[in-house]
Amino acid sequence: MKTLIKNARLACPASGLDESGSLLLEDGIIAAIGDVSEQADETVDAGGLIAAPGLIDLRVKTGEPGAEQKETLATASRAAVAGGVTSMVVMPDTDPVIDDVALVQFIANRGRETAKTRIYPAGALTKGLKGEAMAEIAMMSGSGAVFFTNGDLPVENASVLRRTMGYAASCKAIVSSRPNEHSLGVNGVMNAGAQAARMGLSGLPREAEWIGLGRDLLLAEATGCTLLVDQVSTGRSMEMIREARRRGVRLHVSVAAHHLFFNELDVGDYLTYCKVNPPFRREEDRQALIDALVAGEIDAVVSAHDPQPPEEKRLPFGEAAFGAAGLETALSALLALVQDERIGLLDALRPVTASPADIIGVPQGRLAVGAPADIILFDPNKPWLCEREDLRSRSLNSPFDGRRMVGRVNRTIIAGETVFER
Amino acid sequence: MAIPGYSYEFEHRHLLSIEDLSRLDIEHILDLSEEFAEATRAGHRPEPHLKNMTVINLFFENSTRTMSSFEIAAKRLGADVVSMPVAASSVKKGETLIDTAMTLNAMAPDAIVIRHSASGGVKLLSRKVDCAVINAGDGTHQHPTQGLLDTLTIRRAKGRIEGLKVTICGDILHSRVARSTTMALHLLGAEVTLCGPATLMPSGTDTWGAIRAISDFDEAIEGADVVMMLRLQLERMNGAYLPSQREYFRNFGLTAERLEHAAPDATVMHPGPMNRGVEIESAIADGERSVITEQVEMGVAVREAVLKLLSGRRR
Repeated sequence: MKTLIKNARLACPASGLDESGSLLLEDGIIAAIGDVSEQADETVDAGGLIAAPGLIDLRVKTGEPGAEQKETLATASRAAVAGGVTSMVVMPDTDPVIDDVALVQFIANRGRETAKTRIYPAGALTKGLKGEAMAEIAMMSGSGAVFFTNGDLPVENASVLRRTMGYAASCKAIVSSRPNEHSLGVNGVMNAGAQAARMGLSGLPREAEWIGLGRDLLLAEATGCTLLVDQVSTGRSMEMIREARRRGVRLHVSVAAHHLFFNELDVGDYLTYCKVNPPFRREEDRQALIDALVAGEIDAVVSAHDPQPPEEKRLPFGEAAFGAAGLETALSALLALVQDERIGLLDALRPVTASPADIIGVPQGRLAVGAPADIILFDPNKPWLCEREDLRSRSLNSPFDGRRMVGRVNRTIIAGETVFER
Repeated sequence: MAIPGYSYEFEHRHLLSIEDLSRLDIEHILDLSEEFAEATRAGHRPEPHLKNMTVINLFFENSTRTMSSFEIAAKRLGADVVSMPVAASSVKKGETLIDTAMTLNAMAPDAIVIRHSASGGVKLLSRKVDCAVINAGDGTHQHPTQGLLDTLTIRRAKGRIEGLKVTICGDILHSRVARSTTMALHLLGAEVTLCGPATLMPSGTDTWGAIRAISDFDEAIEGADVVMMLRLQLERMNGAYLPSQREYFRNFGLTAERLEHAAPDATVMHPGPMNRGVEIESAIADGERSVITEQVEMGVAVREAVLKLLSGRRR
C-alpha cells in the first residue's frame, strides 16, 4: 500500500526541512520525500497544510490499569490523535504500579491491542513508588520501559535516589524526576504568593521546586546518571539547569504545554481545571520558560495529560484533584507562540518530535526516508474555540475550556494509516 | 435620600466577598443596618420583610455564634429558618457539596446562608442554586458580614471611617476576618495596619488595601484609633508557626501598657471567641474601651440588613 501526500508544506525539525513538497508512504514507513513522481494507491491532497512528524508526548497519565473510569489507553489515544500526538509515554503511577516486567509488557500489549497511537511504558523507579526499594530497572528496560520515574511524588530519601540513579546509570537507563521538596507546601494547592493568600489558599512555593531540583541535579552529577527533569515551572529552575549543563551533567528538561500558556492568575475564581502540580506560576516564570524554549533549552514539551472525572474536579479548589487533560491542546498551545511570532515553527515542533524521540531512542519524530510514517497534517492558523464537551478524552478537565485557540490537526497518520481525520 | 439625576440600587444577588462590593454598596448596607440596630435598641420589632420566606442556614463548620446571629436576624424579619449543621452528616457519606446544593435548591428556599471550611466553597455552591447565597465564612478566604459588622461598630464608635488608623493583630495568614475587614475598611478610607508574627503573615496584603504589614506590635499600635485582636488558634503551636502561648502573649498580646501607646480614645475589638490571656488581657477585653459586645449586637443588625436586601432574589 502506497500513500502519496502531495501539495504539503513539509516541516521537519530534525533536518531543518521547511518547504513545499510531497511524501510517499509505503508499508508504514516514509519511502520518499520532496518531488515524488511515483504512482500511489491513495493520494492525499494536503492543500498547502503543514506535514510534520507526529507528536511524541513524554508524559501522559491514563487510568489504565486501575482507574479506567478516568481514562484508558484507548480513550487517551483517541484524544491524542485528534491533537496530533502519535506516540505516548505513559506514567507508571497506576493501580497496580508499573514496577515489574510483566506489567511493563502488559502496558505495551494493551497499547498495541487497544490504542490508536504507539504506547511506551515508563517504569517505576522504586517498588510500588514507595521510594524505598529499587525496582528492577534493567529488566524493565529490556522489556521496553523507556525511562524510570517515581511519578508525581519524587523519591524523598536522597540516599535511595542516589543509589537508584547510580544503578540506572550503570544500566544506561534514564531517570525522570519531578523536582520538588514535598515538605514545603504539603497542603499547597496553587502557586504560593499574593494571589493564593488573597484567595485563602495554601501555597506551593517555588523554593520547593528549586530545592528538589538542586538535589536532583547534584545527585545526577555525582552518579553520572542521565536525568530527565520533569516539568520545570519556574525561570530560576532554568538558571540552575544552565549551570548544571555547564558542569557537564547529562540532562533533559521537559515543560508542560500548559505552563507556556497560563499563569497563576488564570486560577481566577477557583477554577479547578487550572489546579495542576507543579502549579501555574508567575507571569515572569511563564515568560522565562518561553525564552528557554526559544533558546532551545527545553528538550521536551509534554501534555502532562492527567484525566480527572467531574467527581474529582467539581469540588472546592482545595479539595479537588490536581491534573489537566492536555493531549488535544498541547500542539495548539505551542502554535499560539508561533502565531505570536515568539518562536519559529520548526523550533516549536522540535521539543515535541525529534528531540523527545532522541531521548527515548525511537526512530520516528522526523521526516526521513526509512523513518516510521507517523505524520500529521495541520493548519497552523486555524482558529477554534476549545469547548470541553467536544474533547475526546474520557475526562474533560481542560484548563483551555472556553479559550480561543489557533492551529488544528486535520489528519493524523500512524505507520502509514490514517487514524484521524477532521 | 433621592438625589436628582442619580439613583443607587444594590444590585448583587449574593454576598460572597467584600471584593464584590463598592464603597456605595457598603455604606448602603451600613445605613440599613444602623436602622435595624436603632430599632432593636428602642424595643421595636422590625417590619416582617421576610414573611413567608424560607432561609436555610447551612453550616459545614461548627459555629454557634455566627449561626445563631443569622438565625435571630432572619427570625426577627419574620422568615422561616431551617438551621442545618452538617459538619459530619451527608457530606461525609460521599455526597458532594454540589449534590447538597442541588438538593437544597430543589426545596426552593429564598436565601441560603453558608459556612464552609474550604476557601471558595461558598462561591462554588452559589453557582448551583437559584436563590441568594450569603457567605458566612469560607475557609481562610472571606467572612463578609464580619467585615461589615466590624466596620459598622467602628463607624458608630468613632463617627467616621475615613482617615482612621486601624491596627489588626494576630494570625493574619489564616484569618478570613482580617481579609474581609481590611478590605471593607480600606474601601471606606481607613488606614489599616496588619500585625502578626512573620510565620502568620501572608504576602501581598497591600492588595487587600492594608498600608503596611509588620511584626512589631509596639510600632503597629502607636497612635492607633482602633485595635482589633484576632483569635489565635491554639493548634498553631504545632507545625512550627509559634513557640509557645506565653511568647506569643509577650510579643502580640494586648495589655493595658501597650494600649497606652494607641490613641487616647482608642477602641478595642475582637471578633470572638476570645482566648483571654493569649491574645488579649481580660481587663482590656472587659474594659471601657472594648466594644466587643457591641460587635455581636451589630452582627445581628448587619445580617438583618443583608437578609432584607438579598432574600427572594433569584436567578
